[in-house]
Amino acid sequence: MFYSTRSKLIISFLGVSILVGIISLFVGIQLLYKTVLNEAKTRIRLDLNAAREIYLSHINTIHTALSIATFDGELHSYLDSKQTGKLKQKLRSISQQIGMDFAGIVMENGEILCRTGPDATPGVSQQVQNPVANYVLKHGTAVSGTVILKKEFLIAEGPELAAQARIELLPTPMAAPRMEKEETSGMSLASGIPLYENGELFGVLYGGILLNRNNEIVDTVRETVFQDETFKGRVIGTATIFFKDLRISTNVITPEGERAIGTRVSREVRDRVLIDGKRWTDRAFVVSDWYITAYEPILDIYGQRVGILYVGVLEAKYADVRRNVLSVFIFITFAGMIIAIGLGYIMANKITRPVRQLIQASNEVSRGNLKPDIGPISKNETGVLQKTFSEMLSHLRERDRLQKVESEDKLLLSEKLSSIGRLAAGVAHEINNPLTGVLTFTHMLLRRSDINEEVRSDLKTIAQETGRVRKIVKGLLDFARQTKLDPETTDINWLVESTIALVKNEALVNGLNLEFNPAEELPVHTVDRSQLQSVLLNIMINAFDTTKPGGNVTVTTGLGISASKTEQKGIEIAISDSGYGILPEHLDKLFDPFFTTKDVGNGTGLGLAVSYGIIERHGGTIRVQSKVGKGSTFTIWLPLEGQCEK
Amino acid sequence: MKSKKILVLDDDRIVLESCKRVLEAEGFKVFLVSSAREAVELLTTGYFDLMIMDVKMPEHDGMYLLEKIKEKWPLDIWPELPVVVMSGYPTPDTISESLVRGAREFLVKPFTPDELISSTYKALKRSKKHGKSKSISDR
Ligand SMILES: Nc1ncnc2c1ncn2[C@@H]1O[C@H](COP(=O)(O)OP(=O)(O)OP(=O)(O)O)[C@@H](O)[C@H]1O
Ligand SMILES: [Mg+2]
Repeated sequence: MFYSTRSKLIISFLGVSILVGIISLFVGIQLLYKTVLNEAKTRIRLDLNAAREIYLSHINTIHTALSIATFDGELHSYLDSKQTGKLKQKLRSISQQIGMDFAGIVMENGEILCRTGPDATPGVSQQVQNPVANYVLKHGTAVSGTVILKKEFLIAEGPELAAQARIELLPTPMAAPRMEKEETSGMSLASGIPLYENGELFGVLYGGILLNRNNEIVDTVRETVFQDETFKGRVIGTATIFFKDLRISTNVITPEGERAIGTRVSREVRDRVLIDGKRWTDRAFVVSDWYITAYEPILDIYGQRVGILYVGVLEAKYADVRRNVLSVFIFITFAGMIIAIGLGYIMANKITRPVRQLIQASNEVSRGNLKPDIGPISKNETGVLQKTFSEMLSHLRERDRLQKVESEDKLLLSEKLSSIGRLAAGVAHEINNPLTGVLTFTHMLLRRSDINEEVRSDLKTIAQETGRVRKIVKGLLDFARQTKLDPETTDINWLVESTIALVKNEALVNGLNLEFNPAEELPVHTVDRSQLQSVLLNIMINAFDTTKPGGNVTVTTGLGISASKTEQKGIEIAISDSGYGILPEHLDKLFDPFFTTKDVGNGTGLGLAVSYGIIERHGGTIRVQSKVGKGSTFTIWLPLEGQCEK
Repeated sequence: MKSKKILVLDDDRIVLESCKRVLEAEGFKVFLVSSAREAVELLTTGYFDLMIMDVKMPEHDGMYLLEKIKEKWPLDIWPELPVVVMSGYPTPDTISESLVRGAREFLVKPFTPDELISSTYKALKRSKKHGKSKSISDR
């Protein structure tokens, strides 16, 4: 049973720890995932800002370089002298310095003064729209920023630029459909600076870089923002510049290992960023991997959303972090569970060990060992139990000891009695024969007339003492005899009356008033007549012995209810005397065999012992009430429902 | 008047002697036997008015003898033999059994001469009531 308690405890511990473990694992994973994701998103937003700064710094570089150029004395002198060849050289050197793809000077009338690309026909107005120059001429202020350049412009600025700008659209699963097969326009970072002469705008210095297939910015982002970090051989950080939804500059790599130029952004991102003009920060599937991404629109100098700037971090990195943390988490959870189980086991043992020991102890007690080992007393409720248990044990031991003493006494007594019985039978046989001789011859001698008085008196003494021996032997026999009952249906009143008749003379001789108060209606009862009679005789003779001449002995019969047994109906025979009474200290010895207060020779102390046995065998009881100096009443109670042992 | 013949059976000599002394003083003719075998011998060869016997003897059970007397006594020849049973250890069983088996009186040892005499007379008196004994005893 205690095993089940222990296993119940362990199972409870197990259950609780598993539950707690699973819940914390679940919650933890969720929290962890959210935290990691948020962290990643925050980081990617910062990364996007950094990327934008890099993007803008390129614009600034162009702007600054061109602004400085306008203050160049050489440039002005070449301008004044219209030395286009020199100007071209100058522009080329500036372009080379800051890596511009194109540069030129447009006059106020739209005529191209010079450019780094192929020379235009002098004196001919520019056929091709130059968005930068146009903006400056129109507004009279410098402008820098993102500019979309048409194919014609690019061809004019240099056919190799147009070729660089041309990008074939690759089929992309999630992208929004587009009619065209290729992109021929270019997206550029450009700047236009007005040229003034005596406060008069006379031309525009412009220049810029084509972003199509130019990966400088995105690679700078990768290098500076993501520090070329790699994860399992793959670059973690990626950046892309989209022209509309088309990748024109990127370091996102296709599965084939090439830059994913020509692929497009998903429709979802395009709608949000290009159309709604909002930022996008989330997980996204880019080309062939999941990334934590950030997208924001790129506005051109007119404020139109013309492209998208993107940065993304391979999610695998975070996933890996997550996986690591997760496994640590799971490990901790499991370790906790194991510890909990271990603790549970230990505690269950700690709790159940004393209980187990108690159970073992009680088993031993039931097997009769009253000094079992109950183990060390613990300092909790179990300890209380243990203490109570050991108290109970000491009580048990005490009771056991008393019982042993008592039963030893009883054993001794019953051994004594049965040996008395055997002895008595033998004695009766052996003694009664010689006694017969002694009695006979003494009496025969007493009959003779030729003896003197002295002899006669001696002979009388012999006869008397022999009578005493006879009485002792008879008492012994009565006591030793374990007769079975011979029940007969008897009128108790009649039985009492016939018994009284036997002792009437004796009462008369002793000067006692012997009275009988019979109950008017007494049911017939089944008793062993002769045995009940001997009981009555014993008690009556005892009453005679204690009562002085002139005293009363009264026998009363009636119906009565048992004192000890629960309200059982029965017949009562009460024998009262006005004798000396019984000393309280004698009351409980009264029925002991051989207890007598009478002089040696007058009482054997067996009368009440025998009587008690007989009444007990009838299923009845004998009660004694006594007051010293007033007298005693012995009440025999016999159950009406036949409880005679046969 | 012819004195009555009493057969006394007991395995103890002093009991036999006592009975003899008391009963002879009363004028009876007393015959003593100390075993059931002897008693049967005498009973089958002669007439007795009364038998006094102990029921518990080592050699022969007195009860057995009583049974014998009751069963096999040739009633047509002899009248019923009155019996007084003696015992030193009278249990209600032995008393009632004796009475059932035909004993007239029960005498508890030790007894005084008076007790023996009164039992003897009582037993004889009862046998007389049957009326048979007289005619036969007068024979
Ligand atoms: N009616 C009584 N009044 C006072 N004492 C009594 C009475 N009945 C019994 N006793 C006391 O109880 C004792 C035991 O009685 P019990 O009959 O067992 O033995 P006994 O009378 O002494 O001897 P015997 O064996 O001869 O009867 C008596 O000795 C007496 O002291
Ligand atoms: Mg008594």
